[in-house]
Amino acid sequence: MSIYMDRNDDIGAFLPKPDDNLIVCRCEEITKGEIRKAIHEGMRTMTEIRRFLRPGMGLCQGNTCGKIVKDILARELGTRPAVLEDCTARGPARPVEIEVFGNEAGK
Amino acid sequence: MKRYDLIVIGAGPAGLSAAIQGANSGMNVAVFDENAKPGGQLFKQIHKFFGSKEHQAKTRGFRIGQKLLADAEKAGVEVFLNSVVMGLYENKEIMVMQQDKVFHYKGDTILVATGARENMIPFEGWTLPGVMGAGAAQTMMNLHGVQPGSRVLMVGSGNVGLVVSYQLLQAGVQVAAIVDAAPRVGGYGVHASKLTRTGIPFYLSHTVVKAEGTDHVTGAVIAQVDEKFRPIPGTEKHFDVDTVCMAVGLSPMSQLLQMSGCETTDKGGTVPVVNSCGETTLSGIFAAGDVAGIEEASSAMITGRLAGAAAANKLGFLSDEDFVEVSAQMKNSLRQLHEGTFSPQNKGRTDLTLTDEGIALSDSLFKYGYLSDGEIGRYPGVTEKKVGIHPVIECTQNIPCNPCQDACRFGCITIGKSITNLPIVNGEAKCVGCGMCVASCSGQAIFLVDDDYGDGQATVTMPYEFLPYPEAGAKGVALGRDGKAVCEAEVVSCRVSPAMDHTALLTIKVPKEMSMKARFFSQEVTK
Amino acid sequence: MRITNHPVLDEFPKGRQVRFTLDGNEMQGYEGEPIAAALRAAGIMVHRHTAKLDQPRGIFCAIGRCTDCVMIVDGKPNVRTCVTPLREGMKIQTQYGVRGKE
Repeated sequence: MSIYMDRNDDIGAFLPKPDDNLIVCRCEEITKGEIRKAIHEGMRTMTEIRRFLRPGMGLCQGNTCGKIVKDILARELGTRPAVLEDCTARGPARPVEIEVFGNEAGK
Repeated sequence: MKRYDLIVIGAGPAGLSAAIQGANSGMNVAVFDENAKPGGQLFKQIHKFFGSKEHQAKTRGFRIGQKLLADAEKAGVEVFLNSVVMGLYENKEIMVMQQDKVFHYKGDTILVATGARENMIPFEGWTLPGVMGAGAAQTMMNLHGVQPGSRVLMVGSGNVGLVVSYQLLQAGVQVAAIVDAAPRVGGYGVHASKLTRTGIPFYLSHTVVKAEGTDHVTGAVIAQVDEKFRPIPGTEKHFDVDTVCMAVGLSPMSQLLQMSGCETTDKGGTVPVVNSCGETTLSGIFAAGDVAGIEEASSAMITGRLAGAAAANKLGFLSDEDFVEVSAQMKNSLRQLHEGTFSPQNKGRTDLTLTDEGIALSDSLFKYGYLSDGEIGRYPGVTEKKVGIHPVIECTQNIPCNPCQDACRFGCITIGKSITNLPIVNGEAKCVGCGMCVASCSGQAIFLVDDDYGDGQATVTMPYEFLPYPEAGAKGVALGRDGKAVCEAEVVSCRVSPAMDHTALLTIKVPKEMSMKARFFSQEVTK
Repeated sequence: MRITNHPVLDEFPKGRQVRFTLDGNEMQGYEGEPIAAALRAAGIMVHRHTAKLDQPRGIFCAIGRCTDCVMIVDGKPNVRTCVTPLREGMKIQTQYGVRGKE
C-alpha cells in the first residue's frame, strides 16, 4: 500500500488557511496549521509527523487523530489517504505506567 | 509461559463467535478483553437486528450478546477481562497487562478481533464537553442509563447515526436534526423513515461548522456545503442544543496486526490482507469482524465463527469434512448479507436508481428521509386491497432481511429465496390483524391498515417503541411520513405482548382517506 | 439525567448508592457504574482542563479509547473515568494539565 513519497517533490509553499487553528490532536493539542506547516517543512510520513510534533504520542495513542492527520497529509501531498502508511505500530499499544511495564510476571 | 490452542483478542461478537467455535471443536481457548465486561459493543445495540433466522434477525443486539456469553460459558471458553493486549508478535505471542503486571501468552493460533474505533471530524468547538461520538451517547444511555444530553444534533446519516438518533428519542432525549455532508441519506431508508415520521428533519449536503459554548456546548451551527464539501458562507443555521454527536464512520483498530508484521492494505482504514477464512499472511494469525473491514455485528459473528473453524481445522481439531461444511454454511450466510442496495460493491454509489426487481428506488427517501405519498404505491408490499385489515409494507430498498415472511402464519407476506427481495403482500391471503409482522420488522416499516372501520373511519396500526404508551381513547394528531400533522386521530388500542419484545402495536382511528398517509401519532398538538 | 423509564430496557442494573467527592463537594452515584456516568447524571460536564490551552474537556468516546475524560482519582491523575468503576468514598478531582487545583 505504501508508495514512496519523494521528499524532493515540490508541494508548494505553506499557505495559511482560516481553519489552521483547529485542534487536530486532542491529547497533545496540536493544530491543523502546525501539522500542515510541518509537512511543508519536510515531514512527509505519518511517523515523521508523529516524531516531530507528537500527534499520536499522547494518552490516546492516535486513536482519534490518526485518521485526521492522515487526511491532512494526503491533501497536502496531493494524494489519497489510502496510499499512505500509518505510523509504525509497536507495543505497548496502550498507555501503560513504566512501573507496570517493568513488572514482568507469568514467564 | 502459558500456551493455548487459540488465543482470541477481543470479546466482541467476532471474538466470542470464534472462541465458541474453537472450544466446541475441542480447542483450549482463551479470550482477552481490555474491558470490564465482555460483549464488545453488542450490549448497547438495543434495536432489532436485520437478516434471516440464521442471523438471529428481529432479535435485539443485547439479547444476541447474552446468548453469545451463555454459549461461550457452555463451551468452556476462558474469558480474561480487564486484560489489555499491548503487543502481538510474529511468533504468535501476546503481551498482556493484567492488573499491575505484564504477562506473556503463546497461542498455536491467534485471532485478532479488536473491532473498530469511531471516526471524528474536527470543527470549531469540537473539543468542548458535549461534543461526542454517537457511540459514546449510545454507551451512556443504553449501558449506563444516563442521558448524554437533553437536545442533540446528530452529524452523520449512516446507519449508526440513524439508529443512535432513534435510541436517543427512546431515552427521552430530543434530536434537533440529522446532518450529513453527502447529498443522500447514507443508511437504510427504513431507519431514516422512522425518524422523519416523528418530525426530525434531515439536513443533507450540510455540515457542522461550529459548536458554541465556553465550558460546554450551548448551541451548534451548520452550513450547506458545495460539491467539494466546503461550507457555503451565508447558509448557516443555528440550533439550540447541548450535545453534538458524530457518527461519521468507523476505522478498523488494526495496530496489533500491524505490529505483528502481517501484510496490510487499505479498506477504509488499514486492514490485514486475509484469505477467505480470515487468515492473515502470517500463518496461524487470523482476523475477523470490524478489524478486518468495517461491517456490522451480524457479519462479525459469521467471520468470527469462520476464522475459529479455520483455526481449529489448521490444528487438526476439526476434520476437513466438518470444516468444509461449516465454512460453506458461513460463507453462504455472509453472502446473503452482502447482497442488495447496500451491498459492499454498491458502497459509495449514488447512481443506483432501481431495486433488484427493477422498481424505481424512492428519490424522496434518499433526499428527505421519507417516502413521498406518490411513490409508495409502486412497491409490492403495498396492495390496493380495500377490503378488511391488511399489512402495508413500506420496505422499498433491497436490504437483507426476511422475518416478516416467517411472522405471518397466514401466507400474506412473501420474500422468497433471496432475503434482499422486497416483501410482497398477497392481497388474496386472509390477514387476521395479529400484528406479528409489524413487531417482527426490524425496520419498523410494516403497518396494518383497515379501511372498513365504519363511519368513514379507518384504523392504522403502527410499531411504537416510546413511553408512555398512549391510552385507548386518547386524542391527538396523526403525522405523515414527513412528520407533519395530517389529521386528528384517536387511539383505539396499544397492544404489548412478550412475543413482540417491547414493540407495542399502536392502533389509531383516522378518516378513511388518511389511511395511507397517517404513519405516526402524537398527543402533543404540533404547531 | 438518569433514565427512569425506557421502552426497551426494563432496568439498568446498578450497585448500591455510594457517596464520593468531586473537588471536595459531596456527590452521590451508584457503585460500579463508571465515574463518568455518575458525574454526567449529576450534571457535571467538565472533567479536566488541558495542559497547553487550558480548555475544558469531557466525555468524548465513553469506552476508554480517547482518554479525554481523564481526572484525578484518589490522587492518581490520567484515570479514564468512563471505564473506571465508582467506589464508596472516592476522591475525584478536576484535572488541570496533569495536576489538581491547589
